[in-house]
Amino acid sequence: MPQRYDAVVIGGGHNGLISAAYLARGGLKTLVLERRHVLGGAAVTEEVFPGFRFSVFSYVVSLLRPEIIRELDLPRYGLDILPLDGTFTPLPSGAGRPAPIGPDGEKIGTGDYLWRVNDHGRTIRELRRWSKLDAEAYDEYGQLMVDMARFIKPILSIVPPDPASNDPRPLLPLGGLLRSFQRLTERQQAVFVQLMTMSASDFLDQWFETDPLKATMAASGIIGTYQGIKSPGTAYVLLHHYMGEIDGAFRAWGIPKGGTGGISEAIAGAARANGAEIRTEAPVAKILTRGGRATGVALESGEEIEAGSVVSSVDVRRTFIDLMDSGTVDAEFEAEVRRFKFRGSSGKVNLALDALPSFTALPGEGEQLRGAISLSPSVDDMERAYDDAKYGHWSRKPYVDIVIPTLVDPSMAPPGKHVMSCFVQYAPYHLDASVGAWDDNREAFGDAVVDRIAEFAPDIRDRILHQQVLTPLDIERTTGLTEGNIFQGELSLEQLFFSRPVPGWARFRTPVRDLWLCGSSTHPGGGIMGANGRIAALELLRSKRLPGRRRVA
Amino acid sequence: MAVANIPTGSWDAVVIGAGHNGLVAAAYLARAGLRTLVLERRDRLGGAADTTELGPHLRVPSLAHTVGRLRPSIQRDLGLKGHGLSLVAPDVRVFAPRPDGEAIVLWDDVARTAAGLRGISVPDAQAFGAFDARARALGRFLDELGRSTPPDIRSPRLGDALAGLRLGRSFRGLGRAGGRTLLRVLPMAVADLVGEAFETDGLRAAIAWRGVRYGAVGPWSAGTAAVLLADGAGNDGGAAGETVYARGGPGAVAQALAAAARAAGAEIRAATVVTSIRTRDGVATGVVLANGEEVAARAVVSGLDPKQTLLGLVDPVALGPSLGWRAGNIRTPGVVAKVNLALRRLPKFPAANRAAASAGAAGSEPEHLLRGRIIIAPGIDAMERAFDASKYGRWSEQPVLEATIPSLADPTLVEGARSGSQVVSVIAQYAPYHLRDGDWDGPDREAFGDSVMAMLESVAPGIGKMVTHRQVLTPLDLERDYGLTGGHPLHAEAGLDQFFLWRPLLGHGRYRLALPRLYLCGSGAHPGGGITGGPGQNAAREIVADLRSRRP
Repeated sequence: MPQRYDAVVIGGGHNGLISAAYLARGGLKTLVLERRHVLGGAAVTEEVFPGFRFSVFSYVVSLLRPEIIRELDLPRYGLDILPLDGTFTPLPSGAGRPAPIGPDGEKIGTGDYLWRVNDHGRTIRELRRWSKLDAEAYDEYGQLMVDMARFIKPILSIVPPDPASNDPRPLLPLGGLLRSFQRLTERQQAVFVQLMTMSASDFLDQWFETDPLKATMAASGIIGTYQGIKSPGTAYVLLHHYMGEIDGAFRAWGIPKGGTGGISEAIAGAARANGAEIRTEAPVAKILTRGGRATGVALESGEEIEAGSVVSSVDVRRTFIDLMDSGTVDAEFEAEVRRFKFRGSSGKVNLALDALPSFTALPGEGEQLRGAISLSPSVDDMERAYDDAKYGHWSRKPYVDIVIPTLVDPSMAPPGKHVMSCFVQYAPYHLDASVGAWDDNREAFGDAVVDRIAEFAPDIRDRILHQQVLTPLDIERTTGLTEGNIFQGELSLEQLFFSRPVPGWARFRTPVRDLWLCGSSTHPGGGIMGANGRIAALELLRSKRLPGRRRVA
Repeated sequence: MAVANIPTGSWDAVVIGAGHNGLVAAAYLARAGLRTLVLERRDRLGGAADTTELGPHLRVPSLAHTVGRLRPSIQRDLGLKGHGLSLVAPDVRVFAPRPDGEAIVLWDDVARTAAGLRGISVPDAQAFGAFDARARALGRFLDELGRSTPPDIRSPRLGDALAGLRLGRSFRGLGRAGGRTLLRVLPMAVADLVGEAFETDGLRAAIAWRGVRYGAVGPWSAGTAAVLLADGAGNDGGAAGETVYARGGPGAVAQALAAAARAAGAEIRAATVVTSIRTRDGVATGVVLANGEEVAARAVVSGLDPKQTLLGLVDPVALGPSLGWRAGNIRTPGVVAKVNLALRRLPKFPAANRAAASAGAAGSEPEHLLRGRIIIAPGIDAMERAFDASKYGRWSEQPVLEATIPSLADPTLVEGARSGSQVVSVIAQYAPYHLRDGDWDGPDREAFGDSVMAMLESVAPGIGKMVTHRQVLTPLDLERDYGLTGGHPLHAEAGLDQFFLWRPLLGHGRYRLALPRLYLCGSGAHPGGGITGGPGQNAAREIVADLRSRRP
């Protein structure tokens, strides 16, 4: 006799777990099914090499919604976010020692770095070293971005309306938005429009002239996208990543203790405490439907589980193409799902280090290593990295965002040793035929990443004990993220808000009754934000007239 | 100079710049009974709608070469036919040859295009009709949008609400699926739009070209799908796009517009330089000429680009620092160069011979195909690579070209020249205004001209030997000779960030620019550039309403 639940959640990633926690809290008998042996999806901590623990995929947290931390009381279940301080952008050829001489006897560069820290005064002094105008513009820019993030924040908790629908009710939240838009100054309004439409590079050009500053700031506009910093639409992703910064008071920007798996464990703890059941190594083979209604799931083991609602946290393509029989949804919807763009563009290199590397721009084991280290020396370098990817090659000189978690959380490695997390762009999922398959390119790609790091920290090769190279194909294979897209679908303008994931189906419901989506494929997109899982669960509860916002007893 | 006898103090409207939009605005203003004066810096009228004499009896379009987007309502209202405008529309819209001898041919007849495509790709031939129909449906909505003045969102009045309702109704007219499609498609990259529909790279490129034409964008840039769809809005373009010539060259459009404006009572003065816009208490009250003379008017209407208008003509104090900063950031990244040629005789295009024998072209002479726009863009990646160079301040060594041989459809252009002579007009991308290591006044001008010739040579071997005259206009020339800031032919980049309500700037997207009684009527205003007359027509409507209203 099959078991029966009110809700079964497919996938134990952070969104699936958050959904489950809210559903259970709302009184539903809830079950989470995770394919892997470990919870968290792309937010997992694993001991990849003996003694060395890694946030294998997602490695920092800046976006996790404060209301989720509060409502689910995550600190009580072990959530502890350790702050990361600053962003260090080294330039090639070292300052602090004579600039190297090139083959023709010319001096190569001057050797320098740009180092921004949380200490505002210090950052301004550093910027002034580069450009007085930029130092002045930095404050104005920062304030403007905070204003923008404040304005847009409510959008993160809105269920997107269908603008093509004749029912005006879902449009009502937009009215409030319009009113708050009207309260902005004309300049703020104009900047908001620019954020929604411009390239990160063009947007920043309006304030700044310092090349490494623009390159490093623009980098957050292309994380997880198959776009360059000069591609229109990337300014929005810049804002998307800024969202966490305004909640600085919640200490939401940093590294979770124990790695990003620590977040997943905390959420799972909250879900269990609310009564949810969680099963690992329970891969779902199929979503069961009857008469256009989801009725449960079948596991790969053959076991069938009945459920009043099926909530899928896996991406939209997995949900409708892989887990469902063709013909369950109408052809047009299926075509829209197939059109949804994934185009994973990121890779990851995890290094186990014998000791810390030393950057020629600022040698030694100082504070500069304790924040993010961004290999983004110039706008051209960033854009060229994208040019490679556009034509189906991984970047020969990639953009690398480095974090050394052991400096704030030594428990991740044996005493004195370190782990280094290198997020890499671009690594396009679809390689050109002339380049070959990813399985034949993994090593060369990993070498290109280490070579790139060695340009700035030549001793890195001697420090490496072990190295794990993750291509987008590896990300797909391990986490199930289609095409290795870390956001479960590109954050391009045509795939946002009421068009995410399918125009007209942005309200977490799907054409299959009682089947819901709660993953990053839905509004408001990816990152360890959790808003998707929370809103989806609250919508589901509301549809059952259950109180979603009841406090935990 | 004629300025001496301009009667001062008695004008209702003074229009700065006699480009096609300035002339359209002036004609409508004069028709509304307003005393209207147009002042043009150059000796010639028309701005970018101009015809150049390359040599004796060899006339060629100076910049723009086709005029098919000119709004039908303007042609009708102003009686342009009666003022001498005669249009020539060949049945072939696009001929896109490839070096390997294949070619894509797009006709004015969708079925004929599809028939021709069948020999290249059956699925593409089948998909073409639906793609064309969708482009037209979305184009109809964009046309409606283009004819509307963007609403005032800061202090909406009843009219704005009504306009919003009208647009809402026509949006709903697209149907639920159509509406969703529009919203999904507009911010897309044109490469994705054509990629969803077609498999043949050459066909994708031939259609996608109109999405990047005149812009500092490649086919993979977001927002280029909107540009493609807007190109077909309000005309019969569809997926293929318009190919319509003005008999006698694009300058004939300017002449007909000027004649219509004069007939309605407007005065037009060429060779008259405006140096600043006069203001009193923050209100525009007229213009100051280079000779120091002042011309007072109730409304000052600028047909120049918004950046030049705001930063070059308006007193910075009246403008204020915030608006000054915003105006300085209007994006005008010119990437277009123009190469104009006169040929001793027509070269052979091998791909035309082959295409003429194919199904869709049954009965056509190979030469007939060359009457369309000849698009030399072998594929989406090739276009993108051409764009890449411009990102780093270099011109493309393998530029994307749109060439026309207007003398084939309009022999009057070469009337009197040696028999067999032809003129060729080539729009060439990408040639960035800012060269990082180079100088448009140095060797780069002709070197780029050579790279354009090499591309032409790849599809028309021997064309170089036929050339008797060659003119290369760089973005720097476009700025110096035509007054286009940054050499941008559209006055401001046609990106999603400079669109509708926020073209050129949010809060100034309703033809009323920065100061009371100052108006923008050029391509920098909604609905943007190209020879449509749209901004001029819309602006005139707003100006007439303001001058008739009692409100200041």
